[in-house]
Amino acid sequence: MFKKALLLGLISGILAGIAGIVYARIYYKINEADFSKIVGTIRILASSLFGGVLAAIGYTVADKLLKAKGEIVFNLLFTLLSFASLLLPIGFKLPLDMQTPELFPGMVIPMHFFPALGWYTLKPLFIKK
Amino acid sequence: MKKYIAPLAALLLLTGSAFAFIAATNWQIADGYNIAFSSDDAGGIFKGFKGTIAFDEQNPAASKFDVTIDVATVNTGNGLQNKHLKSDEWLDATKYPTIHFVSKSVAKTANGYQVTGDLAMHGVTKAITFPFTFKKTGTGGTFAGSFTVNRNDFKVGKPGGEVGESIKIDVSVPVTK
Repeated sequence: MFKKALLLGLISGILAGIAGIVYARIYYKINEADFSKIVGTIRILASSLFGGVLAAIGYTVADKLLKAKGEIVFNLLFTLLSFASLLLPIGFKLPLDMQTPELFPGMVIPMHFFPALGWYTLKPLFIKK
Repeated sequence: MKKYIAPLAALLLLTGSAFAFIAATNWQIADGYNIAFSSDDAGGIFKGFKGTIAFDEQNPAASKFDVTIDVATVNTGNGLQNKHLKSDEWLDATKYPTIHFVSKSVAKTANGYQVTGDLAMHGVTKAITFPFTFKKTGTGGTFAGSFTVNRNDFKVGKPGGEVGESIKIDVSVPVTK
């Protein structure tokens, strides 16, 4: 189970990272707000992968401990944690030489949902119950 | 004719010395200035700063500072905090768009200079005195100083709360002739 969950976590993490990078590029083109010094390509990819791996561990633990209810609890927690993580970009302080910090949450907030979105989308392909 | 020479010379000397007393070099504010504020919980900078500076190291008494900060250019690094600071709860940038300082007197001290003047902020004008230094570099120089204001004196924010009442202001202004 863990191998399948880990593979799902890794692939959904990579896809979430790619989606994040594409979104950051589009956001920059639309708003002329460049936050690449703070949230660069590697950081987007690494944090998305981290989210995917964390989800894989969480899913495996929930499945082992809670059996049939494990998936329900895991999905709820994953979504709740994704929402809770929004506090980070909202409270984040950018270096003072960076322009338009008010546009920063708008770029980062959607990215916080990409790992969960990737996981929920790809899960039926990897874990069938 | 000779009897007029001495009074004329005296008059010239007097006029000359009076001009020497009045005139001070005008300085242009250059890029790279830093108008920063900090308290225990919050801090940031103002990006908009302009004004006129007349200053003479040899004759500080003839100096004059008349500078303005654009409140709307405040940057704390956080969009929400910026919005909050510009709101009517704090600096009220719409009603009071500028912070204005006009000097009344400048004097030399052991470590630099000291300026006294009126600081107008948030609709309140108060006399303040603070020390500063001037470091000459080629044809330009840099003014640097720091002082503390109590935000309650200017009715900025509510007394107490999470944000400290003493706000430290650090100013560094490069100038050119």
